[in-house]
Amino acid sequence: MSSAKKSTKTNPALTLLLISAPLFFVFLSLFFGRYRISAPDVVNALFRPSDAIPAVVTVVRQLRLPRAVAAAFVGASLSVSGAAFQSIFRNPLVNSGILGVSNGAGFGACLAIVFLGGGIATYFSSFLFALLAVVLSWFAGRISKVTSTVSLILGGAMVSAFFSALISIMKYLADPYSQLPGITFWLMGSFASINYSHLAAVIPMSLGMLAVFLSRWKINALSMGDKEAATLGVDVKFYKILVISGATVATASAVCISGTIGWVGLVIPHIGRMLTGNNNSKLIPVSISLGASFMIIIDLIARSLTSSELPIGILCALIGSPFFVYLLKKKKGGTVS
Amino acid sequence: MKYSVNTLCFSYGETEILKNVSFEINSGEAVCLLGPNGSGKTTLADCVLGFHSPQSGSVTAGGRNVLDFSRKELAKHISYLPQTHNPLFPYTVRETVLMGRSAYSGVFGQPGETDEELAEKAIGAVGIESLADRQYTTLSGGEIRLVLLARALAQDAGLMVLDEPTASLDFRNEYIFLDTLFSLIHEKRISILIATHSIDHAFRFEEAGIPVRVIMMKKGAEPLTGAPSEIITPASIKEVFGVSALITEAADDTGRKFRSVSVTGKAN
Repeated sequence: MSSAKKSTKTNPALTLLLISAPLFFVFLSLFFGRYRISAPDVVNALFRPSDAIPAVVTVVRQLRLPRAVAAAFVGASLSVSGAAFQSIFRNPLVNSGILGVSNGAGFGACLAIVFLGGGIATYFSSFLFALLAVVLSWFAGRISKVTSTVSLILGGAMVSAFFSALISIMKYLADPYSQLPGITFWLMGSFASINYSHLAAVIPMSLGMLAVFLSRWKINALSMGDKEAATLGVDVKFYKILVISGATVATASAVCISGTIGWVGLVIPHIGRMLTGNNNSKLIPVSISLGASFMIIIDLIARSLTSSELPIGILCALIGSPFFVYLLKKKKGGTVS
Repeated sequence: MKYSVNTLCFSYGETEILKNVSFEINSGEAVCLLGPNGSGKTTLADCVLGFHSPQSGSVTAGGRNVLDFSRKELAKHISYLPQTHNPLFPYTVRETVLMGRSAYSGVFGQPGETDEELAEKAIGAVGIESLADRQYTTLSGGEIRLVLLARALAQDAGLMVLDEPTASLDFRNEYIFLDTLFSLIHEKRISILIATHSIDHAFRFEEAGIPVRVIMMKKGAEPLTGAPSEIITPASIKEVFGVSALITEAADDTGRKFRSVSVTGKAN
């Protein structure tokens, strides 16, 4: 019976690891960057800012810290949303953008850059259009009578394609010198302009993730399909709406401060599945921690590697994809059958 | 608890499927739904599970209409073993069986000690302890059926609804499944509603000493209801299935008698 207890118990050591890993990487990332600062100076700037050089304090506390925190929350939001969507849509190939969030946000950002001069309007516009895209997907999915999961994914694909076309129109309309570069950078994702005011997005990201986190065990039953979940005693409509809304708010808030980052929401959940299995009671917290840690590291590389910053979306795929293939090979098999 | 189906009528639009279906199931008893494809077996099972609102009549659990239960409440009274189950995410057998306890936790609850113990007991009762840590997607079709049986058992419901549970199993796995089911009925006094294409299953229940009634269904017509020996006759099989059939009885070495139906030809 001793081995019988291993799969479902909460493991204090694992919990501690999941919480401390992102905190460790946030701390670590304060020591690196293009502006070279010695380790003691970083520690001084953090804990005794009055004794430290003002410029160093600014770099550590006003630039690196908020940036690492934003990266952590964005990574966590995208990957936990991807994990939840994969399970409730019974489809391991979907990611956090499946219901049109990314393209909706992208169009919102373009709209703001072209017509409203960018700036703070970009965040609100991209957030609103991200939500609008999901609402449209939801209704598009309701029109047909096909199994609701399939029609919802199809609805998401249609809405994504629609907003993708609108993004192309905006690129076409944009001024090639003053506006197009801004659009292009936004669509490739970056944390370069993050400061404390952006961290307001942490609140909706946290709330969205909390909704998914609290429902995590019921997501197991939901992943068996609507009918089975219902006979297991799960209120399918309630949890689907809760989880989809939570994942949508988290993703939309993430994308509006970071720009489009596509890869994380697909692959981080699969890395989580390889590491701890598919039980969402564990997978959801693991995805949060793993997504946060991964994104901090990627952002650290993005701002340290070259003299001009590399876009996040590119680095995620460049570094993450080979790592994923390596894991696949090491684990000798897929994460789903 | 007593489960009853009371003069149930159900139509999809203009198409009448179920007509005046009535029966009761007490604890430790089984009801066998027989009938050709499209005769409404799955529809009836879905009505019992509260997925359809019948045009008239009702399904009650302990005297209360199943449509008045919340999903959570109903799952504590009726469990379900689906006809088709497409395994996708490789949960372990233990995790899969534990999902049978979903109805017993709070809105945002996690499974507790009791849930884990009951899942463990269900795994033991079905005899799949050795598979408990395996990913259930890697198991054979017969083993997956047993995992789903354990999951339904973990629900601790009075009635278990099984839709074609042995449809894709070979002889040995079919025997193991039914044998396991029979011992569960004897031990736990659960009630069974089973839809099956294998008419012989009705005889197997009877031979195992389980009170069983047969509902032989024909699309849009009132079903034939009664004991297996009354209902399963060459005449009724000819009328309902459109085949001529022979019912034979033979004994094994120990003298136990077994009946079975052999189809001998197409009836005109």
